[in-house]
Amino acid sequence: MHSTIKYMIPALFAAALSSCEKAINLKLTDATPKYVIEGVLTNQSGGCKVSLSQTKNFTDNNDVIGVDGAQVSITDDNVVYPLTPTSTGVYQNTTLKGAYGHIYKLSVTVAGKTFTSTCAMPAAVALDSIYLVKSDFGNNKDGTIRKFVTVKYHDPAATKNYYRFVQYVNNRKEESILLDNDEFTNGQEVNTRLNFNNSNDDPTRDIRPGNQVIIEMQCIDPAVYKYFFSLTTGATGDGNNAAPANPLSNITGGALGYFSVHTVQRKTLTAP
Amino acid sequence: MKNNFAAWFSILISPLMQISAWFRTALCALLLLATVHPQVHAQSPLDKTITININNEPLKQALDKITAASGVRFTYNETVAKSDVKLSINAQNQPLGNILKKALAPYPFTFTVLDQDIMIKYDAAKLKKQTATPTGGKFTISGTIKSAQSGETIIGASIKATDANQGTSSNEYGFYSLTLPAGDHELAVSAIGQKTTLVTVSLTASQRLNIAMDNNEQALQEVTITAKAAGTRDLASPQMGVEHLSIQETKNIPVLLGERDVIKTIQLLPGIKSAGEGSGGFYVRGGASDQNLILLDEAPVYNASHLLGFFSTFNSDAIKNISIYKGDMPAQYGGRLSSVLDIKMNDGNNQKFGVSGGVGLIAARINVEGPIQKNKSSFLISARRTYADAFLAFSKDSIAKKSQLYFYDINAKANYILGDKDRLFLSGYFGKDVLKAGDIAGINWGNTTGTLRWNHIFNSQLFSNTSLIYSNYDYKINIKEDVNEFNIFSQIKDLNLKEDLQYYAGDKNTISFGFNGVYHTIKPGEISSTGNSGIQSQNLQNRYALEDAVYATNTWKATDRFSLTYGLRLSAFTILGQGDYYSLDADGNITDTKHYTSGQVVKTYVNPEPRIAAAYSLNEYSSVKASYARNAQNLHLISNSNSGSPTDKWVASTNLIKPEIADQLSVGYYRDFKDHQYEFTFETYYKKLQNQVDYRNGANVFTNQPIETQLLYGKGRAYGAEFLLKKKTGRLTGWISYTLSKTERKIDGINNNEWYNARQDRTHDIAVVAMFKATEKWTLSANFVYYTGDAVTFPNGKYQVDGATYYYYTNRNADRMPAYNRLDLGATRQLKKSSKFESDLTFSLYNALGNHNAYRIFFRDNKNDPSRTEAVRTTLFTFVPSITYNFKF
Repeated sequence: MHSTIKYMIPALFAAALSSCEKAINLKLTDATPKYVIEGVLTNQSGGCKVSLSQTKNFTDNNDVIGVDGAQVSITDDNVVYPLTPTSTGVYQNTTLKGAYGHIYKLSVTVAGKTFTSTCAMPAAVALDSIYLVKSDFGNNKDGTIRKFVTVKYHDPAATKNYYRFVQYVNNRKEESILLDNDEFTNGQEVNTRLNFNNSNDDPTRDIRPGNQVIIEMQCIDPAVYKYFFSLTTGATGDGNNAAPANPLSNITGGALGYFSVHTVQRKTLTAP
Repeated sequence: MKNNFAAWFSILISPLMQISAWFRTALCALLLLATVHPQVHAQSPLDKTITININNEPLKQALDKITAASGVRFTYNETVAKSDVKLSINAQNQPLGNILKKALAPYPFTFTVLDQDIMIKYDAAKLKKQTATPTGGKFTISGTIKSAQSGETIIGASIKATDANQGTSSNEYGFYSLTLPAGDHELAVSAIGQKTTLVTVSLTASQRLNIAMDNNEQALQEVTITAKAAGTRDLASPQMGVEHLSIQETKNIPVLLGERDVIKTIQLLPGIKSAGEGSGGFYVRGGASDQNLILLDEAPVYNASHLLGFFSTFNSDAIKNISIYKGDMPAQYGGRLSSVLDIKMNDGNNQKFGVSGGVGLIAARINVEGPIQKNKSSFLISARRTYADAFLAFSKDSIAKKSQLYFYDINAKANYILGDKDRLFLSGYFGKDVLKAGDIAGINWGNTTGTLRWNHIFNSQLFSNTSLIYSNYDYKINIKEDVNEFNIFSQIKDLNLKEDLQYYAGDKNTISFGFNGVYHTIKPGEISSTGNSGIQSQNLQNRYALEDAVYATNTWKATDRFSLTYGLRLSAFTILGQGDYYSLDADGNITDTKHYTSGQVVKTYVNPEPRIAAAYSLNEYSSVKASYARNAQNLHLISNSNSGSPTDKWVASTNLIKPEIADQLSVGYYRDFKDHQYEFTFETYYKKLQNQVDYRNGANVFTNQPIETQLLYGKGRAYGAEFLLKKKTGRLTGWISYTLSKTERKIDGINNNEWYNARQDRTHDIAVVAMFKATEKWTLSANFVYYTGDAVTFPNGKYQVDGATYYYYTNRNADRMPAYNRLDLGATRQLKKSSKFESDLTFSLYNALGNHNAYRIFFRDNKNDPSRTEAVRTTLFTFVPSITYNFKF
């Protein structure tokens, strides 16, 4: 429902106004680069990965330039697991798996600066099923029927739960951040439609007949939910928010990004 | 009743009187310091020395000769012009005053200076006076001023005794009261759009005098008064930061899509800024848009815009008069920090039945009014509806085809004159916006207000108005998604009792006092859900509060030159149960919850709000004024969208959300030129704001958590200078306004706790408005607007998270939108004009230069080259033409 309201109101506004868009040259002030950390630890093997990069100027290209030479480790109950570089700016530990209830501490030291974060592994909630529904919003750019995935799960009543869903269409990862929580659905059987906004009308993002769709459900920590929520409301550059701002990170030391310890489970369907 | 009244009144006033002495001393001292003593006077026409010989010539010819010899003009009425009195004058280098005194001495005529002219009046009492003993003492003349054609009361009409330096103006119900020395007087009554009326009175006791004024259109030329143009700013009144507009003045200003709009018009005045392209929202002196109290017949209107803000809720057909106070509110108003926009509806013609209306490109309007019982009672119904959505039916898109996008509103009013002393008014407003995308999603919102008022005249000096007011704003959202349906309902509702009294205590003091009690009910959200989404229907807790205020204020005319208004408004805001109230930690997490039962007091905030203003007339043409006011605000609109949304939340003060407070100090200089044809105003202000409310970074708007968990608090400051040059008479009328200002906020938790520009901080803001009566049939108009772009936050870098681009920000609102400019053109062609039927066609062209003003700027990956990012500007309106047909019969 949240995402529906989020998309609906601007969509109605846009429809109501015959607006005209034009790319313009703006003089933007460049800031000194900041480190960006994406730290992930899952309950599956191979799921421990930290990416380190830096912010770029607006006029630069979008390629990520990884930062090498950092000391990266994750500590679990005083046991330190080092992460070693596997490619430029990517650090991994192939054996470490997150376990329920454990609190993990991330430490990244680069060029004399240390960034730390802690995150607890939430309990796993089972993803019961996924299915496709037709969009009520309209069709794909080329006129074919737009479809969205609906996920079905049973939210546990005893805890506050936060979810993130990642969608792959023919193994292409959807950029939209798809979040859910149990603020209005605690203890219920939940069917949530994963509305994503194909903002650049890229046909490979749409779900079409014959496409294979994989949904990854992640049970995430409240601070990680807050990070992604504030990322999507404040930092997408969409111009709807009166006060764009950097997301609320769970990393201390002045880096952008997040450290998420979460469960992972996947379901697959083929679009009819 | 009267006795109770007096007792109550003295209790209220006595503490005020005690501090008044201090105020007087302090303010006089301040003014002496602040003003340069004006010793340069314009030479009085009476001081002119002339040499002239007139031998037994009729009065009119004699006066013409004096004019020819001296250059001094005379004004007089028919009685004077047709008089058979003959004058003989033989003067060598004598002051004109002496000459006239001598020449007119034996005749029933007197003369007074009126600006640079001399007014000659017939004075029947003069002969009597010379023999009769002077009665002495002072008496009060009072009554109601209304239009002879429609019976509408006239607000702000000026009543001046031409022979004494005494005057007043009619109040918002057309009532006036003027205390004068016993004897014969001539009253000159003037008002915008009305022919100036002269009334002769012979005061031997206090008396009632209702005055009917004729429309200007039927003005007869026999009376030529070159007094101040009607509606000219009152130079001597201590009230500052105020603009009064009658609806006629706004008639010819070109507007978007031909919909006349009072809010768009006030945005062209200095210190008042538009909230964005085509927006019905506005900012006053750096205040936020929720810091404006918008009153329609005394009822607060919580969302004053239609159709996503492009139109205001005020249908010009139903409106008589608007006043906007830019922070220096009289004590009778309170509850908002930045301004009061006080809109008065027409009462309805009690003389004859009439229909008027118009058909435009997007909307049609109709206004019906007439007497219920002639001279006694009347009604008015005014309605409009947009039909822009009719075009949607032609859309190819199946959803657009079934979509709805319209608004309507209805103003209705009736009034009944119960007798000489009592009058009842019942007025209502109902408006609704509907926005619906096929069957999928819809939102509708609207205001409903109702006001029942009773005017009572206790005696010639005491006027009372009692109001019972209802106001409601609500919105409903309906969303269908697959098998699910959601409904959200939110509401703010007021019940309000208000008593205002005006006591005209002699010729030196006018005291206003009264009280106000409002019971607020805020329903933040009711969510109902059906289907399989798992979302549980729930009601967020209602909030209840009682907002009370008492006030008293006195305008003291200390001397002919110096006036002082001093008063106090004491407001109390009591938060009432039932409900839960919270304690939070610094991150907004709940640490404690306390439950209050129904009616239990959670907290009361008491705020004394002093209001002081002083005016000093330098001469007949200019004055200086200074003013200080404190305002408190207990209802806060929490918004994080750029352009205001119908779903923005009204939140009452709680144990955590403190009342917002503003202190404003302003100083101004006022000057009229060219026989009051031009007026120049300069005002400068400094405003300090406390307990400002803003969303936290990353706040969640759709949450069932207490709203306080999403908020941060801080302070603000705003200062600026405003210039206005206005021409009110002649074929060419209009104004130039310029504002230079700065507006900043400092909120704990935002921008590293440092000062930053508020979004509405616009350094320069210029508006030029011109209306030109080209021929009898054609009126041309134009307005031009230029302002510095809003302060906004643009990215200072970018980065990738999970394969998508996000933007990096450093300082809040450190960037600027591109400067805005727009020229609008308008033309009105009178088609038919008779006493039975009138019609005209109005053409307008909005943004006639086609400037691509930025409505918003956003950032995205380039669609053609996703490895690059681009800034994209959205423009809403370029070259928007419109045509409207208006009629009246």
